Amino acid sequence: MLQGKAALVGRRQVARDVFVLGFEAPEVAAATLPGQFVNLLQRPGPLLRRPFSVYRAEGGLVEVVLRAVGVGTGQLLELEPGDQVSVLGPLGHGFDFDPDWRSIALVSGGLGVAPMPTTAAAARRAGLEVTWVHGARTAADLCTEWEGDRVIWATDDGSQGVRGSAVAAVPDGVDAIFACGPNPMLAAVAERWPDAQVAVETYMGCGTGVCLGCAVPKRAGGYDRACSEGPVYRAADIDWPALPTHLHYAVSA
Amino acid sequence: MTDLSVDLGNLRLRGPVMAASGTFGYGTEVPLLDRAKLAGMISKGIFLRPRSGTPPTRIVETPSGMLNAIGLQGPGVEALIRDYAPLWAGWDFPVLVNLNAESVEEYGELTARLDGVPGVAGFEVNISCPNVDQGGMYFGNDPIAAARVTAAVRRRTKLPVWVKLTPMVTDIAVVARAVEAEGADAITAVNTFVGMSIDLHSRRPRLANRTGGLSGPAIRPLAVHLAHRAARAVSIPVVGIGGIAGPEDALEFLVAGCAAVQVGTATFVDGNTVALVHDGIADYLEREGFASLEDLPRYLPRD
Repeated sequence: MLQGKAALVGRRQVARDVFVLGFEAPEVAAATLPGQFVNLLQRPGPLLRRPFSVYRAEGGLVEVVLRAVGVGTGQLLELEPGDQVSVLGPLGHGFDFDPDWRSIALVSGGLGVAPMPTTAAAARRAGLEVTWVHGARTAADLCTEWEGDRVIWATDDGSQGVRGSAVAAVPDGVDAIFACGPNPMLAAVAERWPDAQVAVETYMGCGTGVCLGCAVPKRAGGYDRACSEGPVYRAADIDWPALPTHLHYAVSA
Repeated sequence: MTDLSVDLGNLRLRGPVMAASGTFGYGTEVPLLDRAKLAGMISKGIFLRPRSGTPPTRIVETPSGMLNAIGLQGPGVEALIRDYAPLWAGWDFPVLVNLNAESVEEYGELTARLDGVPGVAGFEVNISCPNVDQGGMYFGNDPIAAARVTAAVRRRTKLPVWVKLTPMVTDIAVVARAVEAEGADAITAVNTFVGMSIDLHSRRPRLANRTGGLSGPAIRPLAVHLAHRAARAVSIPVVGIGGIAGPEDALEFLVAGCAAVQVGTATFVDGNTVALVHDGIADYLEREGFASLEDLPRYLPRD
């Protein structure tokens, strides 16, 4: 885990109100595993850091994807190239790969696209055939950056790709499913593929396992920490009805 | 070299800045801290038995602060003794265990279990717990209940006993004097303020627990006042806590009459805050021409 200043290098829009910010943080980028996140801090700014899944970690850059949902994210979008933030990371336990897998489907909804480019790149390096299924409400909301062997788009209104949810558009016959998106979408993933790995979103205090604020209710009882044991879990291990779904800022979805 | 050591009666600290309960886990979780500057730590609050804590949502950020309702999630005292105390025994700063219970008897039982365990240097009694025998009224809201808890802990140990006071009282001086009279060695002032935040989408409280404890810079002036008021009311040392994020914040508490301070919420943002506060206090004392923290004049008018 590293903490240091990082300058904004670039910003690009990837969907309506959705932006990718790139920060120069070579050591964090080099250490990041698929599904891990960074915790960003601005001063002056809100009290707490803001957690973001790492979108890409290449060329010394850490990229995150965000939409302005509150004061913290709004302020991040006002940064100019060269402006600095404090980056803490990489944090959390990401996606685990099984050497027996030959193929994988990455399923994302909305801002749940966040951990997928890093994960797709890692999956391809591991020799997997990667199908990326990404959904959003409309074509305008759809982030069309993708990586892998093939991509399937899904929109609620059918304005791009297939009409309907990303979950419904996942083809049969893949060896593994990794998913990220709104918690209700992940609950649907858990119904269909109990062994899928899902990256959940929760409110977070510290991001390092101390505050116990990011409690994830488990089917077996009790809670653990999205920032430490998670954010990636076996889908069937989460007590989905007990996991809040309405968040004002987003880890990844 | 400025002398920053602090004498708290039966406990001597190498510096004035400690890590507050609930913001430092059991001492193994906080990364990136220069621990040579850490004067001591208070463990996450412990009960006799394991507790799974409250359902999410557990934390909400508020202007310059945060509300939390974690529900004192923890592994229980036996796991603490087995998994953490042996580590603490090898550390070069004291670890005080933050005690929590639902009855006076249970506070006593918990103290007796921990007294003499290597690695346990003392106790901080959290009296902001509901008293099951009194219909869930908080011990800390009632000077008589606060005194009885203090006495129950005191009877079972000769180690330092600090009592952490709640700010949710009419007059903190009354509670401070009540716990001093029952043998508290120091007072920690103050715990979080009870607060609430409403989600306007669901039109429900944001916290699943409805209410939570407000911490962070938002409470600092309130906490400085209450710590000061407690310090004027008793002759035992007062440890100040509430929204300390930098050295100036800590110095406010020290000048207001506190012997030492605890850093809490700020550790969530920067794990090295304790060390930054320690260094900044040293710089201030040197700049102002004081050879030691003891020489720093305290503002404690006797009127």
